[in-house]
Amino acid sequence: MGQEMKVIVFKLGTEEYGIDVDKVQTIERMLPITRVPKTYAFVKGVVNLRGVVIPVIDLRGRFGLPETELTDQTRIIIVSASDMEVGFIVDSANDVIDLDTDSIDTPPEVVGGIKAKYLDGVARISEERLLIMLNLSEVLNKSEIIQLESIEG
Amino acid sequence: MDMNQYLSMFIDESNDHLQSLNENMLQLEDNPEDIAIVQVIFRSAHTLKGMAATMGFEDLASLTHQMENVLDLVRNDKLKMQDYIFDTLFKSLDALQSMVLDITQGGEGKADVAAIVDSLQAIVRGEKPGAGKADSAAASGSTGEAPKTAIELDEFQQSVLEQSLAEGHKVHYIEVSIREDCQLKAVRAYMVFDLLERFGEIVKSSPTVQEIEQEKFDTSFALYYITQKDSADLESMIMNVSEIATAKVIPAGQESLGQLTASASKQAAAASEAPEAPAAASSAASAPAKAAAPKGSAQDKAPAKRHGTGTPVPSRTIRVDIERLDALMNLFSELLIDRVRMEQLASEIKRSELTEAVEHMARVGNDLQNIVLKLRMVPVDTVFNRFPRMVRDLSKSLDKKIDLVITGAETELDRTVIDEIGDPLVHLLRNAVDHGVETTSERIAAGKPETGTINLKAFHSGNHVFIEIVDDGHGIDREKVAAKAIKNGILTKEQASGMSDDEIALLLFAPGFSTAEKISDISGRGVGLDVVKSKIESLGGTVHVTSTLGQGSKFSVQLPLTLSIISAMLIKVGDEKYAIPLSSIVETGLLKRSQIREVHGYKMIPYRNSNIPLLSLKQIFSIPGFDEESEEESEIVVIRKGDRIAALTVEDFIGQSEIVIKNLGKYLPSIQGVAGGTILGDGQVALIIDPNAFIK
Repeated sequence: MGQEMKVIVFKLGTEEYGIDVDKVQTIERMLPITRVPKTYAFVKGVVNLRGVVIPVIDLRGRFGLPETELTDQTRIIIVSASDMEVGFIVDSANDVIDLDTDSIDTPPEVVGGIKAKYLDGVARISEERLLIMLNLSEVLNKSEIIQLESIEG
Repeated sequence: MDMNQYLSMFIDESNDHLQSLNENMLQLEDNPEDIAIVQVIFRSAHTLKGMAATMGFEDLASLTHQMENVLDLVRNDKLKMQDYIFDTLFKSLDALQSMVLDITQGGEGKADVAAIVDSLQAIVRGEKPGAGKADSAAASGSTGEAPKTAIELDEFQQSVLEQSLAEGHKVHYIEVSIREDCQLKAVRAYMVFDLLERFGEIVKSSPTVQEIEQEKFDTSFALYYITQKDSADLESMIMNVSEIATAKVIPAGQESLGQLTASASKQAAAASEAPEAPAAASSAASAPAKAAAPKGSAQDKAPAKRHGTGTPVPSRTIRVDIERLDALMNLFSELLIDRVRMEQLASEIKRSELTEAVEHMARVGNDLQNIVLKLRMVPVDTVFNRFPRMVRDLSKSLDKKIDLVITGAETELDRTVIDEIGDPLVHLLRNAVDHGVETTSERIAAGKPETGTINLKAFHSGNHVFIEIVDDGHGIDREKVAAKAIKNGILTKEQASGMSDDEIALLLFAPGFSTAEKISDISGRGVGLDVVKSKIESLGGTVHVTSTLGQGSKFSVQLPLTLSIISAMLIKVGDEKYAIPLSSIVETGLLKRSQIREVHGYKMIPYRNSNIPLLSLKQIFSIPGFDEESEEESEIVVIRKGDRIAALTVEDFIGQSEIVIKNLGKYLPSIQGVAGGTILGDGQVALIIDPNAFIK
């Protein structure tokens, strides 16, 4: 029997992703974003979250998925991990579920176009429903981004 | 026991006590007869000793203990304060300070203080040996056969033992050693403890029970034990526990108890500390002595604090983590933004009740803002207070007589500035003591009073705080400075002749400049003043020097009130707003685009009598939605970095404003040209431009 954990569920396209609730500070509706020049394309800018300036990244862009229009459902999930606070722009976020850590399997090579190293695993919630658990520290890992940039540039 | 949670408190309080020790010692040096000051010093030392002992910093405690012995003699009129005593005490304070510093930096506060302890003990012994009562008796008493692991008892434990004796219990001093080959020493020790606790009470053990449980002991331990059983029984009981090598049980009566502690203190005085040994020994000896003891121990308790001293009542303060204040500031600025929104709504809705409520809220908000801003302010006294001591030491080692006069110590500055300003000021003061004020003979020859004066002045003016260091020394010799600067290749003869006195004086801050003929250990290594200048400039401040030859010089430091709030010009390009710090703006203006010239592919514009490069913010930050090429006239901001200037084209000026600097979060790498962000009145973030990055 594994441990119970609470997970925030959000969507990018049709895929559902999960983040440990402890890592999530708040979920906000879209906030006015100030563009920051000369930075990575997926960094959309910075927002003012109750007096604190927080960088916001488009999670689709971060994973190399095509970016989409903002909708009513678009949310910014403010996570804090590895001593950093970052906002993720996601298509929607409207669920919190309890999960047994035993139900998380190691991820296959590629899930929904996302490299396995960004994932902690895939949790099977029901027959039809899979939840992709994000590995936050890898998603926020900057050294890898710098490599990426230098290849592109 | 886990003391970590108390450590920061300990450090804070130790620093406070050291500071007050320093201050009072200086006062005492001026009035060596004033016993009231000695009392204050004694209490500070005593508290420090107690805290250090509790925290297990034994070197610290033992040194304070020795200081206390000396002070005790002084306040009981058995010793007159003299220069060498002051010097030794000051030296001890320095040692204490470095130990506390070590602890602050995560060390164990250990230091070799044997030399200082020796000289302190010499002072205690040097004065009428018989008069030093218990402590000097203990220090010079016969060696005796002190138990190997002598236990020190504190006052409380001592009294517990005495009481149990009085009530007819037996007190034993027990030493147990476990066999060398024993595998589980802690277990054996535990069995002994368990056994003993069934028949009595263990008052104190050495090492402590915790240490023993963690097997942090060699092979033997000692303890004080209260029981009804007699020593032979106990010995055979303990020996029955397996793997015990020896058990020595010494019954302790009133007399031997005193002796034990006295000899323990003797042993401890050399290596570690013996907090209450003198008081304990004297009180154990006889009851009347106890009644006379208040001199020694009772007086330093709270009641004495109230009277007899000229020290001000300590201010009622609490210590708050600066991050919490930042959080408070953040939340509060959000509230201000909401307030603006409410005011707008109220003016649209036009209901008098609502308007009144909003107006009231605005007033409360203003007051609140003042308080929140004040919370971060700290009086410069926290920096100044270590200077008297420093100047005293310096002037003594240079054989000069100098008075340091501090005014405006209550002037408040933001905590962030305070933390940074200490070192530059130390440099400037050292400079004034070493190079400014002349030696006594020179002063007499120049017809000046024998004692030089350095004025350290702090005051507010507008959004700035000024700190001035004025000495009445020989001032800055223009010719000497110019000659030196020419020799060091900092400027040419022609340049030098064209410069004003103040400009020449500013050369002192040039890198690699030192006019001192001989290099002293205080200043004159050629590093220093240029570092001071760059430090102060990095804080957004400036330094000026004015000087009159023969009459002294004045170093004036101008600092912003706070580092987190700056004046900035808000500008607009396309849909984006940016803030440019006023400190790097020379002027703003309009530019006809026809005036732009191309030089080597760079755009240049005529400015005053020269040409300066023209930069486009739109291009640098690739800002969309603004076509400056089609304009006939462009708004420009002339920015500077040191002596170099450049013009930056923008679309519009919004206005000047005080902004709060915020960083952009750790995730973003540092971006060239962006110094941070600020939150505007409408709640949006605007980036702060760092013009220095644009000028190469």
